[in-house]
Amino acid sequence: MLNINCPYCGDRSQKEFAYGGDATVKRPELNKEVSDEKWNEFIYLRKSPRGKHIELWHHIAGCRQWFKVQRDTVTHEIFKTAKMNEEIK
Amino acid sequence: MMNISALNFIHKIGKFGDHNGKNDETLLKVSELNKLLIFQIAKFKNSDFDISKIKVDGLNLPSSLKSSSNSNTRVLWFGPDNWLVFSSDLNLIEKEKKQFNELDFAITDISHSRAIIELEGNLVNEVLKKGCPLDINSFKEGDCANSVYNGITVTIDFVSDNPKKVRISGLRSFGESLHHSITDSCLEFGYKSI
Repeated sequence: MLNINCPYCGDRSQKEFAYGGDATVKRPELNKEVSDEKWNEFIYLRKSPRGKHIELWHHIAGCRQWFKVQRDTVTHEIFKTAKMNEEIK
Repeated sequence: MMNISALNFIHKIGKFGDHNGKNDETLLKVSELNKLLIFQIAKFKNSDFDISKIKVDGLNLPSSLKSSSNSNTRVLWFGPDNWLVFSSDLNLIEKEKKQFNELDFAITDISHSRAIIELEGNLVNEVLKKGCPLDINSFKEGDCANSVYNGITVTIDFVSDNPKKVRISGLRSFGESLHHSITDSCLEFGYKSI
């Protein structure tokens, strides 16, 4: 069981959260031409890194906010959490 | 507003569980709260309205994980720029509506959508610990938190420390399951349903 530090509510059990995928994926710019290949990449292709990874999590049974989590995919250690408008370096 | 209680068919009055030989005064008490006005206040993300100017029944909108209250009304923090108001004054929403500009706030009456169970007694924390992953002992009077109870999403309002009293509210459709979960957890200690 993980404990995740929600930027709004503090340290909470993983039971209250839902995983939301890779936080580094950027949507192609709006109102610009995008190739099928780029669109396909955005929709379907995801990396599966071993080690530090920045993810989206949703505090679905808490404050219902989305935020970023930097987690090690091997050890599950959580290094940092940040609000959506903040950067994790 | 819904007049039929969310737990109408399930909340029975009496003593249950291991209550024999225990003092009535110290026995856990479980009750349902109904006939309350419940509404949600949501401030829009693009709004820069100063919330310190807002008073609901004379109460400030509380900061994160806090509540503010008077004898009629409790205002609970429900998320960033989001509050939940419980009031026995059924006209409160009409009285307070004027101060909420439509461009800055959304006010939604959700009186019909929640089931509220009140627990009172020294063993309240032990009952909560059975189903909720929060660090319950760190929450005191005037705190509130959203969490889960046996997998059901709930809002817990820590009403009073002496006597220990909390209000657990969940979505109405989960009300019966929540009531089962909580009363099952109370059986070990014995409880009085009022």
